[in-house]
Amino acid sequence: MKKKPQQRCKCHDLHLNKLFISLISTVIFLIIGTLSVSAENHPVKGTVIDEKTNSTLIGVSVIVEGTTVGTVTDMNGNFTINVPSESSILKFSYIGYTSQKVKLNGQSELKVTLSENLKNLDEVIVVGYGTQKKSVVTAAISRVSSDDIVRVAPMRIEDALKGTTSGVTVTASSGQPGAGSQVRIRGIGTTNNSDPLYVVDGMPISGGIDYLNPRDIQSIEVLKDAASGAIYGARAANGVILVTTKSGKSQKMSVTYDFSYGVQSPWKHRSVLNAAQYAVMMNEASVDAGKGVLYADPYSLGKGTDWQSEVFNNNAPKQQHQISISGSNDKINYYLSAGYYSQDGIVGGNFDRSNYERYTIRSNTSYELLDTKERNFLNHFVFNQNVSYASIKSRGISTNSEYGSPLGSAMVFSPLLDPYADTPSEIAAVNKKMADVNGVPVRDSRTGTLLNIAGDNYNEITNPIGQLSLPNDINTSNKFVANFSAELTLWDNLKFKSSFGNDLSFWETNGYNVVYYLGKSNNNSRSSVHSTMNRQWLWQLENTLSYDKKIYKHSFNIVLGQSAQKQTGRYLSGTRYLMVAEDPSKANIDFATGTAAGDQLVSGSAQDPSTLASYFGRISYNFDERYMLQATVRQDGSSNFGSNNKWATFPSFSLGWNLTNESFIQNSKPEWLSSTKIRASWGKNGNQSITPFSYVPLTNQGNNYDFGQGESAVIVNGVKPSGTPNPDLKWEESVQTDFGIDFGFLNNSLLFTADYYSKTTNGMLITEPIPSYIGESKPLGNVGTMSNKGVELEASYRFKVSGFNFSVGANASYLYNRLTDLGNETGYGNLDTYANAGTISRAQNGYTYPFFYGKKTNGIFQNWAEINAYKNKQGGLIQPSAQPGDVRFVDVNGDGKIDDGDRTMIGKGMPDWTYGFNLNVNYKNFDLSMVFQGTIGNQIYDATRRTDLPSINLPSYMWGRWTGEGTSNSIPRFSWADNNGNWLSSDLFVKNGDYLRLRNIQLGYTLPQRITKKVLISSLRLYVSAENLLTFTKYEGFDPEISAGGTSIGIDRGIYPQARTYTFGLNLKF
Amino acid sequence: MKKLIILSSIVISALSLNSCTDNFLTVQSASKLLADGTYYNTKAHLTEALVAAYDPLKWFDYSFGQYESLPFVSDVMSDDVMTGGSDQNDCLYLHKMSNYSALPTSVCSNSWTICYSGVNRSNIVLQFINNAADMTDAEKAEYKAEATVLRSFFYKVLWKYWGNIPYYEKNLTSPYLCQQSNHDQVYGKIAAALETIIDQKVLPVKSASGSEGHVTQAMAEMLYAEVVMYQNDNTRYSKALGYMKDIIGSTKYSLVNDYASMWESTGEWGTESIFEINYTAKNGAHDWGSAIATGGSVYPKLIGINSLNGSPDYVGGWGFEPVCKSAYTMFDATDKRRDASILNFATYATVTGASYAPRYEDTGYFMRKYLPRVGGNAGYTASADMNYNNNIRVYRYAETLLNAAELTLATNGGADAGGQAQGYLNTVRSRAGLATIPVSIDNIMNERHLEFVGEGKRYWDLIRSGKASTVLVPGSALNRTVGWSVSKKYLPLPQSDVDSGQGTLTQNNY
Repeated sequence: MKKKPQQRCKCHDLHLNKLFISLISTVIFLIIGTLSVSAENHPVKGTVIDEKTNSTLIGVSVIVEGTTVGTVTDMNGNFTINVPSESSILKFSYIGYTSQKVKLNGQSELKVTLSENLKNLDEVIVVGYGTQKKSVVTAAISRVSSDDIVRVAPMRIEDALKGTTSGVTVTASSGQPGAGSQVRIRGIGTTNNSDPLYVVDGMPISGGIDYLNPRDIQSIEVLKDAASGAIYGARAANGVILVTTKSGKSQKMSVTYDFSYGVQSPWKHRSVLNAAQYAVMMNEASVDAGKGVLYADPYSLGKGTDWQSEVFNNNAPKQQHQISISGSNDKINYYLSAGYYSQDGIVGGNFDRSNYERYTIRSNTSYELLDTKERNFLNHFVFNQNVSYASIKSRGISTNSEYGSPLGSAMVFSPLLDPYADTPSEIAAVNKKMADVNGVPVRDSRTGTLLNIAGDNYNEITNPIGQLSLPNDINTSNKFVANFSAELTLWDNLKFKSSFGNDLSFWETNGYNVVYYLGKSNNNSRSSVHSTMNRQWLWQLENTLSYDKKIYKHSFNIVLGQSAQKQTGRYLSGTRYLMVAEDPSKANIDFATGTAAGDQLVSGSAQDPSTLASYFGRISYNFDERYMLQATVRQDGSSNFGSNNKWATFPSFSLGWNLTNESFIQNSKPEWLSSTKIRASWGKNGNQSITPFSYVPLTNQGNNYDFGQGESAVIVNGVKPSGTPNPDLKWEESVQTDFGIDFGFLNNSLLFTADYYSKTTNGMLITEPIPSYIGESKPLGNVGTMSNKGVELEASYRFKVSGFNFSVGANASYLYNRLTDLGNETGYGNLDTYANAGTISRAQNGYTYPFFYGKKTNGIFQNWAEINAYKNKQGGLIQPSAQPGDVRFVDVNGDGKIDDGDRTMIGKGMPDWTYGFNLNVNYKNFDLSMVFQGTIGNQIYDATRRTDLPSINLPSYMWGRWTGEGTSNSIPRFSWADNNGNWLSSDLFVKNGDYLRLRNIQLGYTLPQRITKKVLISSLRLYVSAENLLTFTKYEGFDPEISAGGTSIGIDRGIYPQARTYTFGLNLKF
Repeated sequence: MKKLIILSSIVISALSLNSCTDNFLTVQSASKLLADGTYYNTKAHLTEALVAAYDPLKWFDYSFGQYESLPFVSDVMSDDVMTGGSDQNDCLYLHKMSNYSALPTSVCSNSWTICYSGVNRSNIVLQFINNAADMTDAEKAEYKAEATVLRSFFYKVLWKYWGNIPYYEKNLTSPYLCQQSNHDQVYGKIAAALETIIDQKVLPVKSASGSEGHVTQAMAEMLYAEVVMYQNDNTRYSKALGYMKDIIGSTKYSLVNDYASMWESTGEWGTESIFEINYTAKNGAHDWGSAIATGGSVYPKLIGINSLNGSPDYVGGWGFEPVCKSAYTMFDATDKRRDASILNFATYATVTGASYAPRYEDTGYFMRKYLPRVGGNAGYTASADMNYNNNIRVYRYAETLLNAAELTLATNGGADAGGQAQGYLNTVRSRAGLATIPVSIDNIMNERHLEFVGEGKRYWDLIRSGKASTVLVPGSALNRTVGWSVSKKYLPLPQSDVDSGQGTLTQNNY
């Protein structure tokens, strides 16, 4: 099977394209077709019709094979062409239809029927080191095409996966421009790094996938099961995402220009108390704690400051430009593109604090340098080069932190405070405070207005406008990814391919710190400038031999290969104190003058190199597309492991059976059943994400001590071994079994796929459970086990109703995760903590990983009788410190008292179900698409309220607190004296996190060609779209989508929400 | 034929790649060397190993999330100070230890880790010292002596806290287990190791200027006396007395005239100082994120006076370690040590106009010896709070004198042969501006209480003198509901080590 650049199209634009092409062809026909003069003497005419409908097809391309002579069918589906010889072959091609070749054999009048290409089963799927016809694929692979991508106009590749693929959980980490998402394929596979491997055009990408412009993507294949991932062996345990970028498609040069401009706004404010309510609550808490009334007349205070409105940046712009040129001829296939993307954040974007800008350039070219039919060896040679460059500049604010992020502060800052010190008395108060603390006040960086200062009792919580007015770091990154490959056909279908890829990145952070005072715990007395620069180079050399052969009904494909990669890098970082002036344009290290020893800090090193060497082989076999078998083995050697375990082998097997291709079924099956395939696979993958050199002790400097007296003491360098090495460390191993079934109905217009999998990670790299009395950090060992099981469903349906073309897709995934063995002595590990609530998430044997941890509550004590009735077996009170209005906790361990031992699982951030569905409709020149996405069965830990700071503002639900018998059975009384531990971690903080979101809706209109042709435009589509237009959720916070760090999924510390965006855009094609 | 050539050339190239694959997969760290005998084979590198063994001494104030400064942890179990802080849950382990209710999960477990880190690092010096080709035998002997004394110091802390502990002199190898020794065995090993070193006389009696912080012969002798006297091992008293007399006879140490001056940074490593744990504010890199970095101490801030205003001498802090009124009133009003040791805030406020906000267990008395001084963190580079330069005074010459007095009596059946003991006691008392009193064990113990209040000696003195169970009783003055009993002598072993010790650790009957 000769693999040409894949011609694919998706049904939704199939009809659209047909329409365009008809129109274009007509134009060409009218203008050129009739005028074309041929030197040849054999005129042939004919008609092209649709096989099903018998209607004539307009604009079908008719080419004399082996020449450039060609024409297109006219308005009536007719064509006339002069052919060089009576035995010429005519090739009829039409997008969305199967191409057909007709040998003239002297005929001069033809009637050609083309059949619609129900592409799905002929679709070609990219697998590691090759492609496969979808009909014979035996592995669990999900696919996202460029058409799916266009619909959601993603900024990063993760956005393209969201809601479009089963088995992939994509959770946005925040709404900050440029922020990535957490991607988990088939659950969290390990307590270590569970990120999937990204492979772009055969090149593994390290350190940031955001260089990739999603508009350059032709297709994304998600390798979910072990059988498909095994070809990537040691890096595939968390799944593999294969990205194929675009290449030239048509002979005619195609130039496209895409533009969009959007405005973003927050879609929700969090409801908090206004000034009057706040004062009432503070009085209540203060009086209860015996500290007297604070505000004499709360209701005179009115609404007060709405800090969220002060902080949110409405109508933040976001724009995008992309130009591409692509095409192909006999020898060269090219795709060139340049893109620009910029986005201001809805928090801080207007302060130049949360902004993102990206330039991308890509050149994908393929040269056919040799193609001869004179011999059957060394007869074909192709050279490919994919080169891309991206430059990114971003600024970000602290997100999802209850310790003084701008949004976290806006939610809890007192509504009694006024943002600006704009009255003489306020200015005087600020000046007095500054004199007391010897500080410099902060001014609004936009207007220069003096800002009010937070009181000492707010700790890290300070005036959020002040936080936004301080300078922040500028992060820039430049990344080149270049991949060169050459493929030579050695003999018959035996091909040798050699490729060399480079991923070269440079990234840096530059910033400065001014002298300022915002609050007791947020101030700075010495200015400084800092700069960090990094560079990293990853190269990969691969050689593969592949052989395709079909003998009678036996099809073979064999791939053998070798791969080597190495990553090196270097960084340098410095800080210098005492800037000459606080001038942003000169904020460079040399602009600071500090000379004392601690005023000039520097660090830098080469990166520890890491290498990976691999050998792999795969054999795919099918008999008559009925029985399929595939076996893969990869052997990886990694520098991350010591000589005892450098190498590991990862095998996999898979089987498939196309039932409907059996003649006995073919004859008896119902008409509506088009295809049925059963699949099964088993395999082993690895994870090598581990700190290098854990297998040997290395020198660890900086274990210093100072000798000498007083000021003259001198710090002396001490060196100790880095830790307790474990020379036997080896790979984490995940073993996965997958069963799948694929159905096609109604001539494959309705497709359905279901998979069940069970995946176990063994030998998770965890600190070994040995005693601390060894006197050194404990060694890592392969001691943990995690299991994930799940079901994945995908369905799609295309149909037409009186001129409307519909395409509907849906997917759903169910996930069941268990941490089988954490490998330590206790069987648990505490993870996240939050203010005074203590530990709020945990890893524990036998539970899902990670889960929310705290006490269970059972309502509120309404009166003393209820407290006195809550007794243990000995007759003592279970909660002796409680008073009416306090929380009744469940005595989980039954020991007759409430303490830390009663904490248990109270929720989890990973959903049971993730699902998505999309709808696409075309009618005439209009198109409409919608993408929905949602989760079921996940909870959110609402950690936005600092229970350790008494004076902060409260969420509105606190207004419904217990104030007397019968007033509330869910929110305890509000008091500064809390002997009952009402606000220690409990299910009071845990909220339902289910949501359904209309991620994207887009309405497009394509201008009629009769208008656009006049200005040489082949097509012009205008569209409007909205992102996050609707979100259905019970959660009261800014956004139900929360992930920050591996274990913090679902923990809301004041998340930077995703914006609601309205966009206008156009797609122009020449 | 052609294809054969191509195929074989591919195979050959693949094979040749294979042969160098192992080289390819063996990478070198970019900025580190292998830390084994190939590194620790020069004087310079063994010096680094030795310095690294000193490093854990600085971690007691705060390292792995708990505040376990040596004087505070000891005194909180005595009758001189309470825990303080915001409430009984603030540093729960200290409140629990103070109330003799420590739990295996709530105890000064950082000290366990800190001391064993010191043991491990000391052992590394001893393991590799003979590899150093560029060191003379005398130098090697000195390094070995330093490492052994340091290791003994760390074991001494473990032994006093927990009694029954794993004791090893060579670092553990896989599976990293060591059988627990009982408290008598541990004592025997510490004492024997120290005797060997002290009798070699390879360490200087006192550090040369610029080397303050190193262990010395005098420090080793003081450590020996502490261990022997805590064990009440009268078979070694005469040896210990001999060591005390060595120090006295050396004339390298003498009492500082002005008792109060010792507690200022200029008084560190004065003529009286035998051993201190060094903390230096200048360039202090001690930080919350790198709590074991070298620099100053957070202990002064921890015990600093909450919301202190208007003090020309001290900066505020977090209100831990309030001093019991009894610890102040036990002094004679003319005792120069009283106000040098303890700040009576009411008096101080009348002089300076200073004010503060009381915290939990407030008494109005503060441990002046270690309060954070104004400018005491000058020159810090990391956290301002964590870089105070107050050294921890471990051994002072005053203790040498009182040890000598006590041992003189103990080795003479209570009699003071030649009035030497009386002389030692008089020297200490006259510096404090007090009249002489007759020398006796009780009077010496009382003098120790006065002289060393806040220095972490009192609790151990009560235990070794057998008075703990009568003095350390429940009462409101100390906010104590549980009294001391013999089973409280050894704290509960950290639960995580009991769990991971695979049966090597038997929990203390606390």
